Amino acid sequence: MNSDRSQGNANKGAEALFTRRDFLKIGAAMPLALHSLSLQAAEGRKAPPKRVMFICNSLGFHEPYFFPKSRGDLATSAYLQDLKVKNKATVFQNLYHPGMETSNHDSEKSFLTGAARPESPVFVNSISLDQILAQKIGGETRFPFLALSIYDRGWGCSWNSRGIAIPPMHDETRIFNMLFGKEDLEAKKKQITNDMSVIACLYRDLEVLKARKTNLAQLDSFRNVIRELEAKIKHEEFWLNANKPAVPNTLSDDKEFEFSTKIKNLLELAKLALRTDSTRVITFSMDWIYGAIKVPGATGGWHTLSHHGGQPDVLEQLSRVERNIINHLNQFLYDLDQIDEGNGTLLDNTTVVIGSNFGDASNHTCNNLPTIVAGGGYRHQNQTVLEKPTPLCNLYLELLHKFNIDAGQFGNGKQDLELLKG
Amino acid sequence: MNNRPLKSWLQRCVAESPVSKAHGIGLFVKIARGITALVCLFGAVGLAEPSSDSLKKTAPSLFATYCFDCHDTDEKKGDLDLSAALQNKGFDGNWAFENLITGKMPPSNKKQPTAAEKSVMLDWLAARQPAMPTHDFRRISRHEFVTTVNDLLTTDIDLTALIPEDRGTYDFDTDRRIQLTSEQLSAAFTVADEMLDFAFPTDHFEPEQVWKTHAVKESHETYRIYARKHEEGMLFSWTRSNNGSFYSFFYDNFEPPVNGWYELTFDAAKMGDFLGDISIMVFAGKYFIADDRPQPQRLVDVISLGDKTIKAHTIKVFLNPGENVSVHCYSPHTWRQSEGNQGAYIKQLTVRGPVHDQWPPKSYQTNFPRLPTTPPERSTSTGAAAITVSGGEADLRAVIKRFAERAFVSTLSDAELSPFLRVGLDQLKAHRNFVTAAKVGMKAVISSPRFYLTPSAAANQSQTRAASLSRTLWLSVPDSRLAELAATDKLSGPVLRQEIERMLADPKSSRMIRSFCGQWLNLRSVNKVSPSLKLYPLFDELLNHYLPLETEAYVANLIVSDLPITYLIDSDFTFLNQRLAEHYGIEGIIGQHLRKVYLPANSPRGGLMTMASILKVTADGFQTSPILRGAWVSKNIIGTALSPPPPNVGTIETDHAAAKTLKERIEEHKKNKSCYACHKSIDPYGFALENFDAAGQWRTRYATEQPHAGTFYYTPVGNFKLAGNVDASAEINNAVFKDVIGLKKFLASDHKRIAYNLAKKFFEYNAGHKPDLQQRLDLWAMIPEKAEDCRLRALLINVLIYAMGGQ
Repeated sequence: MNSDRSQGNANKGAEALFTRRDFLKIGAAMPLALHSLSLQAAEGRKAPPKRVMFICNSLGFHEPYFFPKSRGDLATSAYLQDLKVKNKATVFQNLYHPGMETSNHDSEKSFLTGAARPESPVFVNSISLDQILAQKIGGETRFPFLALSIYDRGWGCSWNSRGIAIPPMHDETRIFNMLFGKEDLEAKKKQITNDMSVIACLYRDLEVLKARKTNLAQLDSFRNVIRELEAKIKHEEFWLNANKPAVPNTLSDDKEFEFSTKIKNLLELAKLALRTDSTRVITFSMDWIYGAIKVPGATGGWHTLSHHGGQPDVLEQLSRVERNIINHLNQFLYDLDQIDEGNGTLLDNTTVVIGSNFGDASNHTCNNLPTIVAGGGYRHQNQTVLEKPTPLCNLYLELLHKFNIDAGQFGNGKQDLELLKG
Repeated sequence: MNNRPLKSWLQRCVAESPVSKAHGIGLFVKIARGITALVCLFGAVGLAEPSSDSLKKTAPSLFATYCFDCHDTDEKKGDLDLSAALQNKGFDGNWAFENLITGKMPPSNKKQPTAAEKSVMLDWLAARQPAMPTHDFRRISRHEFVTTVNDLLTTDIDLTALIPEDRGTYDFDTDRRIQLTSEQLSAAFTVADEMLDFAFPTDHFEPEQVWKTHAVKESHETYRIYARKHEEGMLFSWTRSNNGSFYSFFYDNFEPPVNGWYELTFDAAKMGDFLGDISIMVFAGKYFIADDRPQPQRLVDVISLGDKTIKAHTIKVFLNPGENVSVHCYSPHTWRQSEGNQGAYIKQLTVRGPVHDQWPPKSYQTNFPRLPTTPPERSTSTGAAAITVSGGEADLRAVIKRFAERAFVSTLSDAELSPFLRVGLDQLKAHRNFVTAAKVGMKAVISSPRFYLTPSAAANQSQTRAASLSRTLWLSVPDSRLAELAATDKLSGPVLRQEIERMLADPKSSRMIRSFCGQWLNLRSVNKVSPSLKLYPLFDELLNHYLPLETEAYVANLIVSDLPITYLIDSDFTFLNQRLAEHYGIEGIIGQHLRKVYLPANSPRGGLMTMASILKVTADGFQTSPILRGAWVSKNIIGTALSPPPPNVGTIETDHAAAKTLKERIEEHKKNKSCYACHKSIDPYGFALENFDAAGQWRTRYATEQPHAGTFYYTPVGNFKLAGNVDASAEINNAVFKDVIGLKKFLASDHKRIAYNLAKKFFEYNAGHKPDLQQRLDLWAMIPEKAEDCRLRALLINVLIYAMGGQ
């Protein structure tokens, strides 16, 4: 086998990979994963794990309907008045990403990274918050992270340490099968042996090519990809020893409101994944296309509607779409809060960040980003209005600290907001 | 220094001109003409000895003369102070360059620089433009991966959807900023396994079977109104249920045992006396009862029935286990109200498969030539054993070497081959199975950076060029002829040109047409939008299927016939079938095969912009948006460089609510300087296309959806109210046009802009990055002065050769 790898070089820096030994060390987490469906709370021997989920609504929420009219009172927000977990949520006002003041839809790329000027032709993204967290806590579950999107677009919220988009999954059936589907163990083992022999071959191929001293940058980039893949396969191999949790398929197949169903199903999958401790880090990119969508009471191009320009009839249609999304999120948070875990609920152990890259999608402006932090076991404030425009990355930095990651800084966030009190 | 590439490019053109004698003369005349024009330009750009006095003027003074009247510190028109910007080393000259080269600036009513002066200015901008950082390689796209592996294996299985999309917001798959991820490579591993197992199954080899069936599966009672027993088979009518969806009638007694190609023969006839064909749309998908929730179905082919006597119609389709074959009849008649006797009569469906044209299958002959295989003939019994190939270590070496050299487009030394050989030999030693050993070697080859990243190190320059050509034109690797020419390093000069011509004439070039149109014209998104059933009740899946095909057939024809570039804008012909012709209101087109059709004299169609595919992809399925359509024309046809948005736009307070019509609302852009800077170059094109609705049909009045009481009931007349009249007039750069015909005339009058934009797009499609300013000067120089001389194929070939780094 290749010498580079066995020396453990792969473990340095941000691209921490997990070796077989690491897995054995964290093996203690395994029984938890296996029993989490029902026994976890009863056992109570170990504190339940902390999870995190980020949701980006790519076309934002109409500000006057989103933020409470009367400060601190969610009942005065048209969208949030029916929030079922009001005492477990905080709406943040006056957050923004510096360097995105004049951005367009490309701003979505920076939602979880905070990288400036995403619309530039020479833009290179940086690692997203969820991936830093996945590097820290992802090794303890079968799936280090889960990245979801509505459409097959190939990019969403998650960006790897080289700033490259991690393609999110969008097909409900495939996600369900990946998480809970039965596997042919023998075939899978054969597959892994075959993959590993190909990987060993590719390392040797790289050595041969390296000796020719051409295209070195190309070879280095490829080596990184192979290393990542090797780590993934080893991770998979380790988890082969544990059965996947048996979960009934509760996905909806309502074809009338496809868009709405999709959001509902992806949130359902997220809930199941969190509940069974299949993963502890999830991103959900509510991406958009030009096409028309249908929700109860409204049909139209979501994007077209988002450019309402203040026209009351268009705004009315848009608000029905946005309300529909909020309803799903509301139900999702409520569902998490109904699941007992440890001394609290699953929601208490899951920090859910709901936000957007747009403050006002109608004008393509990115200031005052609508942001909700829910769950996570914090003492929530209902609403926190920041005095002056504050980098959203400050909040992200605070979240990293909550997961005991000393990042120094994240994106353009240099200062922990210190607003989420445990 | 900047002129060297241009000069050498020109010399090459001259050297290469006599491609064939007949063709050569015309080409030579063209090139000679081009040279005269270019020599002027050359001189102008100020080589060692400037020949005219005006050239002694420096570029900055020329900018002062022609630009600063409006764009100085005082006037600052369009928020641009060029006098200050040009002092700034970090100034992005892209925008100024594009406006100058395409003649947008200085405006036509201002004094104009001479051609020579313009060159000095352009050259100066090009020289100071900072280089765009870019990788010198890219990953191959999922489309290239799948087609290439299919060609290497001589199989045809489309598993593209298993590899995640990674184009993101970039224009082309080839963009070098897209970098390989482990998710992508992991998916490629999976796809490679599936494709290799498909080519060389190791468990058993499915025998060919024949199924005959004339019964459709039990369906819900109420749907019998669309199909009934007739003579020996079934008679089908057009179906469209109350909620607007179609129903499939699934054939009973056949399920594909394995994935593969099957021949479906329908003994069928048209029933009824009326003009036009009846179509059978053939779908594959999971069975569902009509009343149940529909499962997704793939349209696999369309059969056109024009004859009242029963005939055998055979199609070849790919089917997967778990899929059933279903049919929809498409005709003008439905029996909803009364029992009809018009429709498609299908007496019997005969299925044969999985089919292989030869034994052993082609994939074995390509990859294991001359090695003995067993069994010698295809077994007819189920549970037949897999094909075995007998061979030793030397044979394995030959097989893997051959495969790797084809995949890498290079000759390989022993050292280069050794990793791939070793993984195969290890397998052979462990399991004594030749096919399995070859498969793991092949999988390693198609996972290698030499395959997955391009350009990769080849043994000679011809091979690098051959790899680039075949990726661009075929999304694949070279065929044996091209590979041989490359291996002997003969791919240059006239041979290179001949090869490009040959490759363009090869049916595989249709992949390039699909890929390039899909990306350049956004046709990949054509299925993302379903038009509203209330507004566009006649829109259906059959039409949707043919929309992009019209565009692809048209673009392919422009290339094959080497027609003038202005045909992109307007034309007296297009490619239609019965369904498209119905959509366009053109009579007398019968049958669903696409054919070249000359348009009526007064037709607004002709050219790309008025094709329903484009009109659909630029709308959201409900209302049209002049802004979206305008942006599409601006970006994809004209290539307008839009000014960057001014900083801190903030919230724009426009009182849209007060504006009555759509046009008035959009005209609000004029009131805001920040909006108008860009929208004046976008909106007018969109306005001119307002006579086409979101499904691409002609209209003179807008329609608004009507709310339905209770449950929505589909009706072919729709559910809308006619509203205001369409006003398709617009004004741009002082040119006024009253409708789309005026717009086309306006656009066609400047063939150089259209050609320049296409040249840039095709350059980017091949090279994976936008041409830098110097390269754009060279591209501009390739465009003949006269519209008649500016031919599509010639331009694309010149751009391709240039983008690959010369002759």
